[in-house]
Amino acid sequence: MKIVVAYKWASNPQDATVGATGAIDWSRAKPGISEYDPVAVEMARELADATGGEVIGLSAGTAAVNATMARKAALSRRFDRAVIVADDALASSGSTELAAVLAAAVQHIGDVDLVITGDSSIDVGGKMVPTVLAGELGWPAIAEVNSVTGTDGGVRVERATSDGTEVLEISGPAVLAAATDAAVPRLPGMKDILAATKKPVEALTLADLDVPTTAGTVSIKGTARPALKARKGQMIDTTDPAVAAAALVAALRGTGAL
Amino acid sequence: MIGKTWIVVAGDAAVGNLIATARGFGGTVSAAVVGPRAVADTIAGGGVDDVLWFGEPGKAPVEAYAGAVADAIAASPGIVLGPTGPSARVLLGAVAARMQVPVLTGGTTASADGDTVLVTRSVFGGIADEINIVAGPAVLLLDGGQVSAADGSAPVQQVDCTPLGITVVETRPSHLAHVDLGSAVRVIGVGRGLGAKEDLALITELAGASKAEIACTRPIAEGLDWLARDRYIGCSGWNISPEVYFAIGISGQLQHMVGVRGAETIVAINSDPNAPVFAEADYGLVGDLYKIVPALTKALT
Ligand SMILES: Cc1cc2nc3c(=O)[nH]c(=O)nc-3n(C[C@H](O)[C@H](O)[C@H](O)COP(=O)(O)OP(=O)(O)OC[C@H]3O[C@@H](n4cnc5c(N)ncnc54)[C@H](O)[C@@H]3O)c2cc1C
Ligand SMILES: Nc1ncnc2c1ncn2[C@@H]1O[C@H](COP(=O)(O)O)[C@@H](O)[C@H]1O
Repeated sequence: MKIVVAYKWASNPQDATVGATGAIDWSRAKPGISEYDPVAVEMARELADATGGEVIGLSAGTAAVNATMARKAALSRRFDRAVIVADDALASSGSTELAAVLAAAVQHIGDVDLVITGDSSIDVGGKMVPTVLAGELGWPAIAEVNSVTGTDGGVRVERATSDGTEVLEISGPAVLAAATDAAVPRLPGMKDILAATKKPVEALTLADLDVPTTAGTVSIKGTARPALKARKGQMIDTTDPAVAAAALVAALRGTGAL
Repeated sequence: MIGKTWIVVAGDAAVGNLIATARGFGGTVSAAVVGPRAVADTIAGGGVDDVLWFGEPGKAPVEAYAGAVADAIAASPGIVLGPTGPSARVLLGAVAARMQVPVLTGGTTASADGDTVLVTRSVFGGIADEINIVAGPAVLLLDGGQVSAADGSAPVQQVDCTPLGITVVETRPSHLAHVDLGSAVRVIGVGRGLGAKEDLALITELAGASKAEIACTRPIAEGLDWLARDRYIGCSGWNISPEVYFAIGISGQLQHMVGVRGAETIVAINSDPNAPVFAEADYGLVGDLYKIVPALTKALT
């Protein structure tokens, strides 16, 4: 099977700061492979090894995605090769635009049987890139997939629903978003990091792909720090747990919370 | 004035908040309903102008109708509202791709402003709120909410379509209990500070003594599987606003804390004095939960 894994090179918003005017400062946040994407890599690797085939990493973003460090970090994962769409025109692209670029890259790669993505990206976290990507390709999509196996001409997947587990069979190519705990990703070792430099990378820009234009129907009016409730920040001494518990219960009863 | 607003229903009729929001825009409101006829009928009685229904699903999952829903909506485009569940997201993704329009996630409010819609949404894991101006077709994800019955009933039109090639071949019901955390008055959240699944007994006792619902962080539900997946709080789970939230053995990462910002009072119990949770707590207790939780249960009984 020819499997593409979409991975995002992104920063954790926990490390960004929001100024009084609402401007977001990412300068102290260090980008990396988005938290849940290694789960998708592992899922793809196991499937490819079981069915015979290759795993291709695919990422879209600014030039930073194709920087040496980003390439190394990606290729030290269990990919056979990577296709990277690096174009600064993608700096402020939304989920639809990114998904359209990824779809064009999947078409460019050709004969892809399956695309596996992470559950959600660490920065945007909208969980929509995989589903828009499937829409662009006209393929079925399933999110929150727990496991996948190959069948004759398709895949069989398991997912958790609010009522239990569902087993689905999909014929033809598809996009799957892996549940956050679908597989335990391996951390790259020294050998993987050394092997990374030898893996083939195809770097593309938007000019190399046929990407449809997304309608400009949405604009940003402004950003702001969320209005947070003021918290008391009162610390209760816990030297004697019974005394601490009594103090907490008294305080909560006093405010009517209990 | 906004011309047309679509509501996408993915097998679950809990879209009351979406109908109310769409009504607020002032234009016509159409629903595209995937799922059993009963769901279409509930929506038809919930205050929309018309309903497109894609037929009895049989062994086809909601996702199999993504192409059909996208075709139907693209034929008369408008602003498209949908809930945030995994199946709904697949339908909405197909719609956004077919119309090639932007997707807005994390929406908290949306209201008409002349002939545009203003959307406030929580972005980047909740570090900021963004206000967007929507001036044409776009896809907007909002939390669902129960449908309240309205006067009259909208016509339901069945759409003939061929679902995509996905079939449900087996279902295995789970034994984990469900919960409505959205309306809970007191909630106890438990995190990885808990050492073993058996120790949930300590938490259950505290929940009994304080009449609280039990919730958790994401790794407790996904990965450890100690509690059901519909019990975790945060940017990918529940947003709650109880009278009091007890964060027990929870570090207080952004992605979790955004879900409890609405709580009137937050109590944090954590052995690490530097845990970020204390910065967002009203009452902080630094110490071992295995000592503090039993003492608290005792103080309450
Ligand atoms: C895109 C994305 C989305 C996410 N969405 C969510 C979400 O919706 N909800 C969510 O919860 N998480 C979410 N996460 C994960 C989140 O970032 C954190 O990893 C998670 O919330 C941490 O869970 P925790 O606090 O239980 O575990 P940890 O961070 O491991 O914290 C455990 C805490 O327990 C304390 N502790 C240990 N032993 C004891 C003891 N004996 N007594 C008292 N305290 C003790 C420790 O000091 C520590 O602070 C998301 C992550 C990403 C990347
Ligand atoms: N720019 C991107 N390049 C490659 N994959 C992406 C990109 N953005 C999102 N993805 C994939 O889509 C998943 C969900 O992302 P999101 O929709 O942003 O929450 C991620 O875990 C990635 O697998």
